[in-house]
Amino acid sequence: MTIREALTHPWLTVRTQIALGIFFIVAALPKIADPPSFAHMVYNYRLLPGPLVNLATLTMPWAELLMGVALICGIWRRTAASLVGALLVVFIVAISINLLRGNAIDCGCFDVADAGKSVAEKFHDMWMVILRDVGMLLLVAQGLLGADRAEGNEAA
Amino acid sequence: MNLRRFLAEAGTLVGLAVVCALVSNALAGKERRLALPGNYPNATTVTARPESRPLAAFEAVSPAVAPGVAESASPGPSGADPSPEAPIASLPAASTTRQPAPGEKAPAGPSNVAPSGGQTASLADLLGRFPVHGQPFVEITGEAAVWLHANGALFLDARRSKEFVQGHVSEARSFPVWEAEVVKERVEGLVAEGRDLSLPVVLYCSGGDCEDSHMLAQTLFGAGFENLLVYRDGFPDWVKRGGAVRTGGPA
Repeated sequence: MTIREALTHPWLTVRTQIALGIFFIVAALPKIADPPSFAHMVYNYRLLPGPLVNLATLTMPWAELLMGVALICGIWRRTAASLVGALLVVFIVAISINLLRGNAIDCGCFDVADAGKSVAEKFHDMWMVILRDVGMLLLVAQGLLGADRAEGNEAA
Repeated sequence: MNLRRFLAEAGTLVGLAVVCALVSNALAGKERRLALPGNYPNATTVTARPESRPLAAFEAVSPAVAPGVAESASPGPSGADPSPEAPIASLPAASTTRQPAPGEKAPAGPSNVAPSGGQTASLADLLGRFPVHGQPFVEITGEAAVWLHANGALFLDARRSKEFVQGHVSEARSFPVWEAEVVKERVEGLVAEGRDLSLPVVLYCSGGDCEDSHMLAQTLFGAGFENLLVYRDGFPDWVKRGGAVRTGGPA
Protein backbone atom coordinates (compact mmCIF):
# COMPACT_ATOMS: atom_id res chain seq x y z
CA MET A 1 0.00 0.00 0.00
CA THR A 2 1.48 3.37 -0.99
CA ILE A 3 1.35 6.42 1.29
CA ARG A 4 -1.29 7.94 -0.93
CA GLU A 5 -3.40 4.81 -0.69
CA ALA A 6 -3.02 4.77 3.07
CA LEU A 7 -3.98 8.46 3.39
CA THR A 8 -7.04 8.07 1.21
CA HIS A 9 -8.18 4.79 2.72
CA PRO A 10 -11.95 4.76 3.25
CA TRP A 11 -11.46 3.78 6.92
CA LEU A 12 -9.51 7.00 7.51
CA THR A 13 -11.68 9.17 5.27
CA VAL A 14 -14.88 8.30 7.10
CA ARG A 15 -13.30 9.21 10.43
CA THR A 16 -11.69 12.50 9.35
CA GLN A 17 -14.91 13.67 7.75
CA ILE A 18 -16.91 12.81 10.89
CA ALA A 19 -14.35 14.70 13.00
CA LEU A 20 -14.57 17.70 10.66
CA GLY A 21 -18.37 17.53 10.79
CA ILE A 22 -18.37 17.47 14.60
CA PHE A 23 -16.03 20.50 14.68
CA PHE A 24 -18.44 22.47 12.53
CA ILE A 25 -21.56 21.45 14.44
CA VAL A 26 -19.93 22.31 17.78
CA ALA A 27 -18.85 25.66 16.33
CA ALA A 28 -22.32 26.42 14.98
CA LEU A 29 -24.43 25.78 18.08
CA PRO A 30 -23.40 28.72 20.33
CA LYS A 31 -23.78 31.10 17.38
CA ILE A 32 -27.28 29.84 16.64
CA ALA A 33 -28.16 30.11 20.33
CA ASP A 34 -27.07 33.75 20.72
CA PRO A 35 -27.18 35.70 17.45
CA PRO A 36 -26.63 39.19 18.97
CA SER A 37 -23.34 38.09 20.55
CA PHE A 38 -22.20 36.54 17.29
CA ALA A 39 -23.28 39.69 15.41
CA HIS A 40 -20.96 41.60 17.73
CA MET A 41 -18.12 39.23 16.79
CA VAL A 42 -18.83 39.54 13.06
CA TYR A 43 -19.00 43.33 13.42
CA ASN A 44 -15.63 43.36 15.21
CA TYR A 45 -13.97 41.87 12.12
CA ARG A 46 -14.80 45.18 10.39
CA LEU A 47 -14.99 43.51 7.01
CA LEU A 48 -18.67 43.35 6.05
CA PRO A 49 -20.75 46.39 5.14
CA GLY A 50 -23.25 47.22 7.90
CA PRO A 51 -26.38 45.96 6.14
CA LEU A 52 -24.80 42.52 5.59
CA VAL A 53 -23.53 41.94 9.15
CA ASN A 54 -26.77 40.47 10.50
CA LEU A 55 -27.49 38.38 7.41
CA ALA A 56 -24.02 36.81 7.62
CA THR A 57 -24.46 36.36 11.38
CA LEU A 58 -27.68 34.42 10.92
CA THR A 59 -26.74 32.37 7.86
CA MET A 60 -23.15 31.34 8.58
CA PRO A 61 -23.82 29.13 11.64
CA TRP A 62 -26.70 27.35 9.89
CA ALA A 63 -24.44 26.72 6.88
CA GLU A 64 -21.80 25.33 9.25
CA LEU A 65 -24.38 23.12 10.93
CA LEU A 66 -25.79 21.74 7.67
CA MET A 67 -22.32 21.13 6.22
CA GLY A 68 -21.31 19.40 9.43
CA VAL A 69 -24.37 17.15 9.29
CA ALA A 70 -23.71 16.37 5.61
CA LEU A 71 -20.09 15.43 6.39
CA ILE A 72 -21.08 13.18 9.27
CA CYS A 73 -23.85 11.47 7.35
CA GLY A 74 -21.78 11.18 4.19
CA ILE A 75 -24.40 13.02 2.12
CA TRP A 76 -23.03 15.10 -0.78
CA ARG A 77 -19.63 14.71 0.86
CA ARG A 78 -17.58 16.29 -1.95
CA THR A 79 -19.81 19.36 -2.04
CA ALA A 80 -19.93 19.65 1.74
CA ALA A 81 -16.15 19.25 2.05
CA SER A 82 -15.57 21.84 -0.71
CA LEU A 83 -17.87 24.36 0.96
CA VAL A 84 -16.23 23.75 4.35
CA GLY A 85 -12.87 24.33 2.65
CA ALA A 86 -14.15 27.57 1.15
CA LEU A 87 -15.44 28.73 4.54
CA LEU A 88 -12.09 27.92 6.17
CA VAL A 89 -10.27 29.95 3.51
CA VAL A 90 -12.64 32.86 4.17
CA PHE A 91 -11.95 32.60 7.94
CA ILE A 92 -8.17 32.51 7.37
CA VAL A 93 -8.31 35.55 5.07
CA ALA A 94 -10.56 37.45 7.51
CA ILE A 95 -8.27 36.81 10.49
CA SER A 96 -5.16 37.60 8.41
CA ILE A 97 -6.54 40.95 7.25
CA ASN A 98 -7.19 41.92 10.86
CA LEU A 99 -3.72 40.77 11.92
CA LEU A 100 -2.24 42.91 9.15
CA ARG A 101 -4.18 46.00 10.15
CA GLY A 102 -3.55 45.50 13.84
CA ASN A 103 -7.17 44.98 14.85
CA ALA A 104 -7.18 42.60 17.82
CA ILE A 105 -10.39 40.56 17.84
CA ASP A 106 -11.91 37.48 19.38
CA CYS A 107 -12.32 34.97 16.58
CA GLY A 108 -15.86 34.00 17.59
CA CYS A 109 -15.16 30.53 16.20
CA PHE A 110 -16.39 28.30 18.99
CA ASP A 111 -17.42 30.81 21.63
CA VAL A 112 -19.36 34.02 21.19
CA ALA A 113 -18.93 35.46 24.68
CA ASP A 114 -16.44 38.28 25.18
CA ALA A 115 -13.70 36.55 27.16
CA GLY A 116 -12.09 39.83 28.21
CA LYS A 117 -8.74 38.87 26.69
CA SER A 118 -5.90 41.37 26.46
CA VAL A 119 -4.76 42.68 23.09
CA ALA A 120 -1.63 40.49 23.19
CA GLU A 121 -3.70 37.40 24.02
CA LYS A 122 -6.05 38.17 21.16
CA PHE A 123 -3.19 38.49 18.64
CA HIS A 124 -1.69 35.23 19.89
CA ASP A 125 -5.03 33.46 19.59
CA MET A 126 -5.55 34.84 16.06
CA TRP A 127 -2.32 33.13 14.96
CA MET A 128 -3.46 29.90 16.63
CA VAL A 129 -6.80 30.13 14.82
CA ILE A 130 -5.01 30.41 11.48
CA LEU A 131 -2.93 27.33 12.34
CA ARG A 132 -6.04 25.43 13.40
CA ASP A 133 -7.90 26.38 10.24
CA VAL A 134 -4.96 25.28 8.09
CA GLY A 135 -5.07 21.96 9.94
CA MET A 136 -8.77 21.62 9.19
CA LEU A 137 -8.05 22.45 5.53
CA LEU A 138 -5.81 19.36 5.51
CA LEU A 139 -8.78 17.31 6.72
CA VAL A 140 -10.84 18.80 3.88
CA ALA A 141 -8.14 17.88 1.36
CA GLN A 142 -8.04 14.36 2.76
CA GLY A 143 -11.81 14.10 2.38
CA LEU A 144 -11.72 15.28 -1.24
CA LEU A 145 -8.90 12.88 -2.14
CA GLY A 146 -10.75 10.08 -0.39
CA ALA A 147 -13.89 10.88 -2.36
CA ASP A 148 -11.85 10.88 -5.58
CA ARG A 149 -10.56 7.44 -4.76
CA ALA A 150 -14.03 6.13 -3.91
CA GLU A 151 -15.40 7.45 -7.19
CA GLY A 152 -12.43 5.95 -9.02
CA ASN A 153 -13.19 2.56 -7.46
CA GLU A 154 -16.84 2.85 -8.45
CA ALA A 155 -15.87 3.71 -12.04
CA ALA A 156 -13.41 0.83 -12.24
CA MET B 1 -18.30 14.96 -10.36
CA ASN B 2 -19.58 17.56 -12.75
CA LEU B 3 -19.94 21.24 -12.07
CA ARG B 4 -23.71 21.31 -12.48
CA ARG B 5 -24.22 18.71 -9.81
CA PHE B 6 -21.81 20.53 -7.50
CA LEU B 7 -23.62 23.84 -8.01
CA ALA B 8 -27.01 22.24 -7.42
CA GLU B 9 -25.88 20.63 -4.17
CA ALA B 10 -24.01 23.71 -2.94
CA GLY B 11 -26.98 25.92 -3.82
CA THR B 12 -29.31 23.61 -1.91
CA LEU B 13 -27.09 23.59 1.18
CA VAL B 14 -26.65 27.36 1.23
CA GLY B 15 -30.31 27.96 0.39
CA LEU B 16 -31.37 25.69 3.24
CA ALA B 17 -29.04 27.58 5.58
CA VAL B 18 -30.62 30.88 4.58
CA VAL B 19 -34.14 29.49 5.09
CA CYS B 20 -33.22 28.05 8.52
CA ALA B 21 -31.58 31.36 9.47
CA LEU B 22 -34.62 33.44 8.51
CA VAL B 23 -37.08 31.07 10.17
CA SER B 24 -35.08 30.86 13.40
CA ASN B 25 -34.74 34.64 13.46
CA ALA B 26 -38.46 35.09 12.93
CA LEU B 27 -39.20 32.68 15.80
CA ALA B 28 -36.59 34.14 18.18
CA GLY B 29 -37.57 36.24 21.17
CA LYS B 30 -36.89 39.95 20.85
CA GLU B 31 -33.74 39.69 22.95
CA ARG B 32 -32.25 37.36 20.35
CA ARG B 33 -33.73 38.68 17.14
CA LEU B 34 -31.59 40.59 14.63
CA ALA B 35 -32.80 43.30 12.32
CA LEU B 36 -32.55 42.67 8.59
CA PRO B 37 -30.71 44.46 7.15
CA GLY B 38 -28.34 45.40 9.97
CA ASN B 39 -27.70 49.02 10.85
CA TYR B 40 -24.04 49.48 11.69
CA PRO B 41 -22.55 52.78 10.56
CA ASN B 42 -18.90 52.56 9.52
CA ALA B 43 -18.89 48.79 9.92
CA THR B 44 -15.66 48.44 7.95
CA THR B 45 -13.63 51.12 9.74
CA VAL B 46 -11.11 50.01 12.32
CA THR B 47 -11.15 52.43 15.23
CA ALA B 48 -8.23 53.53 17.34
CA ARG B 49 -7.69 51.54 20.50
CA PRO B 50 -8.89 53.30 23.65
CA GLU B 51 -5.48 53.24 25.33
CA SER B 52 -4.13 55.31 22.44
CA ARG B 53 -6.61 58.09 23.26
CA PRO B 54 -5.26 60.13 26.15
CA LEU B 55 -7.19 60.38 29.38
CA ALA B 56 -7.49 63.86 30.77
CA ALA B 57 -6.27 64.24 34.32
CA PHE B 58 -8.72 65.09 37.04
CA GLU B 59 -8.60 68.85 37.35
CA ALA B 60 -9.51 70.34 40.68
CA VAL B 61 -10.33 73.81 39.43
CA SER B 62 -13.49 75.82 39.58
CA PRO B 63 -15.90 75.67 36.67
CA ALA B 64 -15.36 79.31 35.88
CA VAL B 65 -11.69 78.73 35.17
CA ALA B 66 -11.79 75.22 33.84
CA PRO B 67 -12.32 74.64 30.18
CA GLY B 68 -15.76 73.18 29.86
CA VAL B 69 -16.58 70.08 27.88
CA ALA B 70 -17.53 72.12 24.85
CA GLU B 71 -14.24 73.97 24.79
CA SER B 72 -12.20 70.84 25.20
CA ALA B 73 -14.08 69.05 22.47
CA SER B 74 -12.36 69.13 19.14
CA PRO B 75 -14.61 69.89 16.21
CA GLY B 76 -13.58 66.59 14.66
CA PRO B 77 -15.78 64.51 12.45
CA SER B 78 -18.99 64.09 14.39
CA GLY B 79 -20.37 61.57 11.99
CA ALA B 80 -21.38 58.03 12.58
CA ASP B 81 -18.00 56.67 13.64
CA PRO B 82 -18.60 54.85 16.90
CA SER B 83 -15.38 56.11 18.41
CA PRO B 84 -13.94 59.21 16.82
CA GLU B 85 -11.12 60.97 18.55
CA ALA B 86 -13.48 62.44 21.08
CA PRO B 87 -11.62 64.01 23.94
CA ILE B 88 -12.08 63.03 27.53
CA ALA B 89 -13.91 65.77 29.32
CA SER B 90 -12.02 67.26 32.15
CA LEU B 91 -14.02 67.45 35.31
CA PRO B 92 -13.72 70.50 37.47
CA ALA B 93 -14.16 69.67 41.11
CA ALA B 94 -17.46 70.58 42.65
CA SER B 95 -16.59 73.83 44.32
CA THR B 96 -19.96 75.37 44.91
CA THR B 97 -23.08 74.09 46.52
CA ARG B 98 -26.40 75.41 45.45
CA GLN B 99 -29.82 74.09 46.29
CA PRO B 100 -32.31 73.98 43.46
CA ALA B 101 -34.31 77.17 43.31
CA PRO B 102 -38.02 76.89 44.12
CA GLY B 103 -39.87 75.61 41.12
CA GLU B 104 -36.68 74.39 39.52
CA LYS B 105 -36.94 70.90 38.16
CA ALA B 106 -34.88 68.41 40.13
CA PRO B 107 -32.26 66.52 38.18
CA ALA B 108 -33.65 63.45 36.56
CA GLY B 109 -33.06 60.08 38.11
CA PRO B 110 -33.89 58.87 41.56
CA SER B 111 -30.36 58.97 42.94
CA ASN B 112 -30.26 62.65 43.73
CA VAL B 113 -28.12 62.03 46.75
CA ALA B 114 -25.29 64.08 48.11
CA PRO B 115 -21.82 63.14 46.85
CA SER B 116 -19.12 62.15 49.27
CA GLY B 117 -18.25 65.78 49.87
CA GLY B 118 -21.73 66.45 51.10
CA GLN B 119 -22.56 68.61 48.10
CA THR B 120 -25.64 68.50 45.99
CA ALA B 121 -25.45 69.79 42.47
CA SER B 122 -28.27 71.67 40.90
CA LEU B 123 -29.25 71.50 37.28
CA ALA B 124 -27.11 74.56 36.71
CA ASP B 125 -24.15 72.79 38.26
CA LEU B 126 -24.67 69.73 36.09
CA LEU B 127 -24.94 71.86 32.98
CA GLY B 128 -22.12 74.14 34.11
CA ARG B 129 -19.73 71.24 34.36
CA PHE B 130 -21.11 69.28 31.45
CA PRO B 131 -22.58 71.73 28.97
CA VAL B 132 -24.25 70.59 25.79
CA HIS B 133 -21.39 69.69 23.45
CA GLY B 134 -23.10 69.21 20.10
CA GLN B 135 -21.31 65.95 19.33
CA PRO B 136 -22.66 62.41 19.38
CA PHE B 137 -20.70 61.88 22.60
CA VAL B 138 -17.76 62.94 24.69
CA GLU B 139 -15.71 60.46 26.69
CA ILE B 140 -15.40 60.99 30.43
CA THR B 141 -13.22 59.64 33.20
CA GLY B 142 -14.25 57.50 36.12
CA GLU B 143 -14.03 60.50 38.47
CA ALA B 144 -16.46 62.38 36.29
CA ALA B 145 -18.81 59.40 36.24
CA VAL B 146 -18.75 59.14 40.03
CA TRP B 147 -19.54 62.85 40.35
CA LEU B 148 -22.34 62.65 37.81
CA HIS B 149 -23.84 59.61 39.52
CA ALA B 150 -23.77 61.32 42.89
CA ASN B 151 -25.50 64.31 41.35
CA GLY B 152 -28.38 62.44 39.81
CA ALA B 153 -27.37 62.12 36.18
CA LEU B 154 -29.16 59.38 34.24
CA PHE B 155 -26.98 56.30 33.64
CA LEU B 156 -27.64 53.92 30.76
CA ASP B 157 -26.10 50.44 30.54
CA ALA B 158 -25.37 49.46 26.92
CA ARG B 159 -24.33 45.87 27.66
CA ARG B 160 -26.46 42.78 27.08
CA SER B 161 -29.53 42.27 29.31
CA LYS B 162 -27.91 39.20 30.80
CA GLU B 163 -24.89 41.21 31.96
CA PHE B 164 -27.15 43.96 33.32
CA VAL B 165 -28.97 41.40 35.47
CA GLN B 166 -25.67 40.11 36.84
CA GLY B 167 -24.71 43.57 38.05
CA HIS B 168 -25.01 47.20 36.97
CA VAL B 169 -24.42 50.73 38.20
CA SER B 170 -27.07 51.45 40.79
CA GLU B 171 -30.06 53.29 39.25
CA ALA B 172 -28.79 52.65 35.73
CA ARG B 173 -31.30 51.57 33.10
CA SER B 174 -30.70 48.71 30.69
CA PHE B 175 -30.27 49.76 27.03
CA PRO B 176 -28.73 46.63 25.46
CA VAL B 177 -27.57 48.08 22.18
CA TRP B 178 -27.04 44.65 20.53
CA GLU B 179 -30.64 43.67 21.20
CA ALA B 180 -31.99 45.91 18.48
CA GLU B 181 -35.71 45.58 19.23
CA VAL B 182 -35.35 45.96 22.98
CA VAL B 183 -33.18 49.05 22.68
CA LYS B 184 -35.47 50.60 20.06
CA GLU B 185 -38.43 50.29 22.45
CA ARG B 186 -36.46 51.70 25.37
CA VAL B 187 -35.17 54.66 23.34
CA GLU B 188 -38.71 55.42 22.23
CA GLY B 189 -39.85 55.15 25.85
CA LEU B 190 -37.09 57.48 27.02
CA VAL B 191 -37.96 60.05 24.35
CA ALA B 192 -41.62 59.79 25.32
CA GLU B 193 -40.74 60.69 28.92
CA GLY B 194 -40.12 64.20 27.64
CA ARG B 195 -36.82 64.62 29.43
CA ASP B 196 -34.72 67.74 29.09
CA LEU B 197 -32.48 66.62 26.22
CA SER B 198 -29.67 68.95 27.25
CA LEU B 199 -29.12 67.19 30.61
CA PRO B 200 -26.05 64.95 30.79
CA VAL B 201 -26.71 61.27 30.22
CA VAL B 202 -23.91 58.83 31.06
CA LEU B 203 -23.52 55.71 28.91
CA TYR B 204 -21.28 52.81 29.79
CA CYS B 205 -20.43 49.25 28.79
CA SER B 206 -17.60 46.96 29.85
CA GLY B 207 -14.66 49.32 29.33
CA GLY B 208 -11.54 48.33 27.42
CA ASP B 209 -12.24 48.36 23.69
CA CYS B 210 -15.97 47.93 24.24
CA GLU B 211 -17.88 50.23 21.90
CA ASP B 212 -21.43 49.40 22.87
CA SER B 213 -21.89 52.71 24.69
CA HIS B 214 -20.50 54.62 21.70
CA MET B 215 -23.02 52.87 19.44
CA LEU B 216 -25.84 53.63 21.86
CA ALA B 217 -24.70 57.26 21.89
CA GLN B 218 -25.08 57.40 18.11
CA THR B 219 -28.64 56.11 18.41
CA LEU B 220 -29.58 58.54 21.20
CA PHE B 221 -27.89 61.46 19.42
CA GLY B 222 -30.07 60.63 16.43
CA ALA B 223 -33.09 60.67 18.76
CA GLY B 224 -32.28 64.23 19.84
CA PHE B 225 -30.21 63.80 23.01
CA GLU B 226 -27.59 66.53 23.08
CA ASN B 227 -25.41 65.79 26.07
CA LEU B 228 -24.24 62.20 25.90
CA LEU B 229 -21.20 61.26 27.96
CA VAL B 230 -19.47 57.93 27.43
CA TYR B 231 -17.90 56.53 30.58
CA ARG B 232 -15.03 54.94 28.71
CA ASP B 233 -13.65 52.61 31.36
CA GLY B 234 -17.16 51.44 32.07
CA PHE B 235 -18.51 48.93 34.53
CA PRO B 236 -15.20 47.25 35.56
CA ASP B 237 -13.83 50.67 36.51
CA TRP B 238 -17.03 51.45 38.42
CA VAL B 239 -16.65 48.26 40.44
CA LYS B 240 -12.97 49.00 41.05
CA ARG B 241 -13.90 52.43 42.39
CA GLY B 242 -16.37 50.82 44.77
CA GLY B 243 -19.38 52.49 43.15
CA ALA B 244 -22.88 51.36 44.07
CA VAL B 245 -23.86 48.21 42.18
CA ARG B 246 -27.25 46.49 41.91
CA THR B 247 -28.21 43.14 40.47
CA GLY B 248 -31.46 42.08 38.88
CA GLY B 249 -33.47 42.99 35.83
CA PRO B 250 -34.70 46.37 34.70
CA ALA B 251 -37.39 47.81 36.96
